Amino acid sequence: MPVLDIKNLVLWYRTRKGPVHAVDDISFALEPGQTIALVGESGSGKTSTANAILRLLPKNVLRYEGNVVFDGQDVMEFDTEEFRKVVRWRGISMVFQGAMNSLNPTIRVGGQVAEPLMVHYDVDRDEAADQAIEALGKVGLSADTARRFPFELSGGMKQRVVIAMALILKPKVVILDEPTSALDVMTQTNIINLLKELKNTEHLSYIFITHDLGLASELADLVGIVYAGQLVEVGPAEGVFVKPKHPYTGKLLASVPRLRSEAAPDFIPGAPPDLTDPPPGCRFHLRCPVSFEKCGWSAPEFIEQVRLLQILEETKGTVPAIEAMTAKGAQNLLIKPVANGTVAEFAQRLTSFIAQNQETYRFLKSVESVQAKAKVVEVKLHESTPPPLIGGDWRASCWLLAGAGS
Amino acid sequence: MLVTRGGRLLTAAAVDTQPVADASPASPHVVEVDALKKYFEIGRGLFRKSVSLKAVDLVTLAISRGETLAVVGESGSGKTTLGRTIIRLLEPTDGKLLYDGQDITHKSDKELMWLRRKAQMIPQDPYSSVNPAFPVYRILDEPLIIHKEGDRAQRQEAVMKALQSVKLNPPEFFANKYPHMLSGGQRQRVAIARALMLNPEFILADEPVSMLDASVRISILRLLRQIQLKFGIAFLYITHDLATAKHFSDRIGIMYAGRLVEEGPVRGVLGEPLHPYTQALMSAIPDPDPANRLTVRQALPGEPPSLISPPTGCHFHPRCPIARIGLCDVQDPEMRELRPGHRVACHLAN
Repeated sequence: MPVLDIKNLVLWYRTRKGPVHAVDDISFALEPGQTIALVGESGSGKTSTANAILRLLPKNVLRYEGNVVFDGQDVMEFDTEEFRKVVRWRGISMVFQGAMNSLNPTIRVGGQVAEPLMVHYDVDRDEAADQAIEALGKVGLSADTARRFPFELSGGMKQRVVIAMALILKPKVVILDEPTSALDVMTQTNIINLLKELKNTEHLSYIFITHDLGLASELADLVGIVYAGQLVEVGPAEGVFVKPKHPYTGKLLASVPRLRSEAAPDFIPGAPPDLTDPPPGCRFHLRCPVSFEKCGWSAPEFIEQVRLLQILEETKGTVPAIEAMTAKGAQNLLIKPVANGTVAEFAQRLTSFIAQNQETYRFLKSVESVQAKAKVVEVKLHESTPPPLIGGDWRASCWLLAGAGS
Repeated sequence: MLVTRGGRLLTAAAVDTQPVADASPASPHVVEVDALKKYFEIGRGLFRKSVSLKAVDLVTLAISRGETLAVVGESGSGKTTLGRTIIRLLEPTDGKLLYDGQDITHKSDKELMWLRRKAQMIPQDPYSSVNPAFPVYRILDEPLIIHKEGDRAQRQEAVMKALQSVKLNPPEFFANKYPHMLSGGQRQRVAIARALMLNPEFILADEPVSMLDASVRISILRLLRQIQLKFGIAFLYITHDLATAKHFSDRIGIMYAGRLVEEGPVRGVLGEPLHPYTQALMSAIPDPDPANRLTVRQALPGEPPSLISPPTGCHFHPRCPIARIGLCDVQDPEMRELRPGHRVACHLAN
């Protein structure tokens, strides 16, 4: 039985720009002792997923739903007090990003490690102090560290303190949010080695959040690739790292500069989408090297791409001259040609341009039909739906995968 | 009127301010550094003696025209201080600093106006290094105004060219934007364009991509590489990331506790690392590989030493797996050229 089973988790924030789809239908399961790495670019929703699991929510939550089954119980049903008593820190704890810089400078380290014990368990002071020293011992710090103040410790030692704080209530699952991002490589390696060791001695399951695929491979049994608030691929490390199914995973792996390979790193064109208005269809289609007809181009996106193409191809003079473009709904647009020749001729030029250039400019593939009207040409785009996440133990969401449907 | 390379205008005024030594470009090196020291006096109080922090200690290196030298080190290794001293934002404590064969070790700011034009910098943080109140156009125009280059029309042409060379297309579109309207990667492109405005020979890039998203980093580093090749500009690339140094540099120098411990061609230093610190640094960096989780990675014990009272002899000896007591803790290792162009400061390397 999985120790943690997350089903259709959704977390949206309300902002002035509109709802932010930070976590948009994320599901994965974690067996006892297993580690899942959640990897993605900044702003992809990795930390929001962690916050949604631990119910650490800001005030501007718009939607928060799904199932979080911990140890066989759906803890989404719990009220605030029950959740705090049973789940938060006792069942699932977290090492927050940059937490080592948030230690209280005026309280001795031991007191800060012991605090959850006194708050959650009503343990008396002496007992709490003993347990704090034990927890510090587990992370490789001597007993006299407990009497020190944070400023007396190095970065690596402070990070160990923060890990001790996460372990003090003996949780089953620990969420690690970029636990080494502010540390030097040598210290980072020491912390990762410690986490590897604790995983076995304390029988922990980790949710390891990182943007670094190399680091992810140090701990991950399972890898979940997060893009624009969704998991686009999730599966065993041996599969995902070696023969990724989703084009985004492939591009992400190719963008890693490697120390032990001469292969030149490649970059992913464009930027991650705005989560207030995620793209229709597959959210990666705008940056995807293999996108095709049904991946989800909308009329406004199409117009934007045509404008870009006009700039890129300006010197070649091959683009049919366009006076104006307007979107008519999500799947249709009207193009007004510059007045030389008939509309029908323009439609023909446009059709042949699309046929010739659709391998270079993949968005052109989304055109289903070009029809000449009285003064304008009507372009109809293919319908699009988001690809399903399919494939048993190793799932990915891409229309190019066998079984995704056509 | 000529507009060249990064969009710089060649004017009579520009020619006047060339340094004397430039008339005979005899030196193959843009920058030569000999036994450079930069110490900071700290902690001085009314009743307290100051102590010196040896940020850069006896560094010797040279950067050839048009090449990229990466200086790699952990935080506090002195790499940033070295960079800032080389372009004379800081004055060396001791040693010799040559630019184009000309001694600039202790020249005054006024005497260095020509250097401010030839040596530029790309800072780390694109969010704080561009003036938020200026549109991109003004940010790029500023260096030309300060150095009195060309008239308004000529400067405009130069700005547009520079925007094109950093691939902010179409330039008219980006020229009128304010920094807050741009992404981190686009801002860093603006900072790069600004560094190109005066047609420099040498650019100091101090962690130019560490604040950027992983997917954007590679595109910026590629752009820098293209600029280096296209305009023949020499780069000093300062970074903590050995993997990007491998893919985007010609030579690598490794710094530890204020000293350069190894330096040579990328292939040499990373293919056959001679210094135990370089070897440890390399083994600490994971490439994506599912087998990683099954093993414990080699890592050095301890932390880098204090730069106020560094260890005697080799600064690395307390953490070194092969240190020989009686030698390494007593004697400073000399930089020795053990392979062609590949130097190492270790008593025991051979």
